[in-house]
Amino acid sequence: MPHMWWVVAASVLVGVLAAYLIWTAGRVERLQGRAELAARALDAHLLRRAAAAAVLAERCFGVELYAAARIALDAPPQEREAAENDLTRQLRSVRLDPADPDCTAVIAASRRLALSRQVHTDLVRDARSARSRPLVRLLRMGRGREWPRYFDIDDPTLVVPADVPAG
Amino acid sequence: MRIGIVCPYSFDVPGGVQNHVMDLAEALITLGHEVSVLAPADEDSPLPAYVVSAGRAVPLPYNGSVARIAFGPVSTARVRRWLTNGDFDVLHVHEPLTLSLSLLAVLSARGPVVATFHTAMTRSRVLAAAQGVLQIVLERITARIAVSALARKVQVEHMDGGAVEIPNGVAVAKFADAEPLPDWPGECGPGTGGTLGFLGRFTEARKGFPVLRDAFVALAATRPGLRLLVAGPGDPDDLYDQFPAALRERVTFLGLVTEADKARMLRSVHLYVAPNTGGESFGMILTEALAAGTTVVASDLDAFRRVLDGGRAGRLFPTGDPVGLRDALSELLDDPAGRATLSACGDQVVANFDWPVVARRVLEVYAAAIEATDGRVIDQEWVGLG
Repeated sequence: MPHMWWVVAASVLVGVLAAYLIWTAGRVERLQGRAELAARALDAHLLRRAAAAAVLAERCFGVELYAAARIALDAPPQEREAAENDLTRQLRSVRLDPADPDCTAVIAASRRLALSRQVHTDLVRDARSARSRPLVRLLRMGRGREWPRYFDIDDPTLVVPADVPAG
Repeated sequence: MRIGIVCPYSFDVPGGVQNHVMDLAEALITLGHEVSVLAPADEDSPLPAYVVSAGRAVPLPYNGSVARIAFGPVSTARVRRWLTNGDFDVLHVHEPLTLSLSLLAVLSARGPVVATFHTAMTRSRVLAAAQGVLQIVLERITARIAVSALARKVQVEHMDGGAVEIPNGVAVAKFADAEPLPDWPGECGPGTGGTLGFLGRFTEARKGFPVLRDAFVALAATRPGLRLLVAGPGDPDDLYDQFPAALRERVTFLGLVTEADKARMLRSVHLYVAPNTGGESFGMILTEALAAGTTVVASDLDAFRRVLDGGRAGRLFPTGDPVGLRDALSELLDDPAGRATLSACGDQVVANFDWPVVARRVLEVYAAAIEATDGRVIDQEWVGLG
C-alpha cells in the first residue's frame, strides 16, 4: 500500500499548516490588541499633560498656554497631533520652576507622556508589520479592526534646569 | 509593585551586568517594592536574599569571550516555575538577545516585559541566523531600555525600535564615604607632589595606558613627589617594565580590586585619569570617580564628554595626546581651586546617576509597560514616585 504514505504525509502537512495559521492568527490578534491598549494609555497621558498645563496656566502663565492646553484637550482626532505639538512648544517657551508643585506636575506628566509615546510607537510598528505579512493579508486576519495608527508628535520631554536632578 | 528581574550571567563571577542588576534590585527594594532576581548560580554560593538560583551556569565561548550561562529544558522549567510563583506585575530582563535565562523568560512571559540592553553588540550570532526568531523575541518586549547612547543607537538602527536611554547608576554614598588608603593621597603643593590614578586593564590598547605613562614620565622629571596609583588585572612586571627604573618606586600597583577597594582607591588620588582611546560606550568609571569626589581628567571621547557635561564636571584633553594630558595634569595639580570647582560641578552631575534617581526612572518605564498592556494609567504615587 504505497499510497498510504501520501495520505500520512498530506495529513501531517495539513496539521502543521493549521497549527501555523492558528498561531499566526493569535499573534496578529495579540499584537493588535496590545497596540490598541497602548493607544488608550497614550490618550490618557495626553489628557493628563494638557490638564496639568491648564492648571498651571490658570495660575501663572496666562492666556496663550491656557489656550494651547484647551485646544489640545478638545482637538478632533485629525488635528490632535498638531495641537499637542503646539502645547509642547508653549511649554518649552515658559520658564518652569522645579520647586513649584504645579510645574513639577507638568514636567512629570511630560516625561511619562514621552515614555508612553515611545512604547506606543514600538507596539504599533510591531502590529503593523505583523498585519502586513502576505499570508496575513491573504487570509484577511485581523479584519474588523482598524490598522493601528502611529501618533506622530515631537518628543514632549521638557528640559529641567541643570542644577536640579531630573528625578 | 511586584518586580521580577532576570540576569543572564552567573552571580559567581563579577561583571558589569551582574553589578547593575544587584544595585537596581537593592534600590527598588529600598523604594518599597517587592523584587525577585533570577540568575544562574552554583547551589552552594552565597547569594543575597532576593536572588533565586536557576542552577549552575555552563561556560560557553561567546562573542570573543567566555560567558557563563544557563540554557536548556531544565532552565526553562525553572524559569516557568519562578514566573508562576512570583506572579509579577512586570518582568525586567537584561540582555534578552543572548542565549540565556533572559531569552527563556521573555518567551515564557505573559504580562508586560521590560528589556535592558547593555552592550552595543547588535545581536548574538546564533540569533542572527534566524531573523524570524529574533522578531518573535523582540515583539514580546513591551518597553526597551538602553544604558548608553551607543546601545540606543544600535536599537534604533539595527533592531527597528526605539529605546529609552537610562544610564547605569552609581551608588554615590558608597564612593563618597569610602576611606582613602593609608598615607594617600598625600601632599600636593605648587610644582611638587600630587597623585594620579588609573583603573583598568593597562595592557589593553583602547584603555590608553601608554598615553598616561608618557605624560607621567614627562611630568615626573620636573615634579618631585608625583605618584601614580594603578589598579586592575595584569602582571606587575608588565606594568613596571614600562617605566624607567628611577620612577618605578613612584608607581604603586594594587592589582585587581574589589568594589569596596575600588572606592577607596578612587578616594586616594588627586586626579583620576581616563586616557581611553575609544570603544567606551558610557564611562561608568568616570561617574564612580565623580561620586568619590575626585577630579577627573579624561580623553575627549563622545561618551566621556556626555558624562562630564561637555567639560564642566571634569577636564577633557585631546584623545591619545600625551602632551595635552601632561599640560592638563600639571595645571590642575597646581590649582586646588580649579579642582574644587570641577568637583563641585561633578557632584551635581553625579546626582543624576545616583541609584535611587535612576531606579525611579526605571520605575516610570515599568509603569509605561504595564499601562501599555492594561490601557489604564498608573498614578505617580503607586509607582512610588511621590
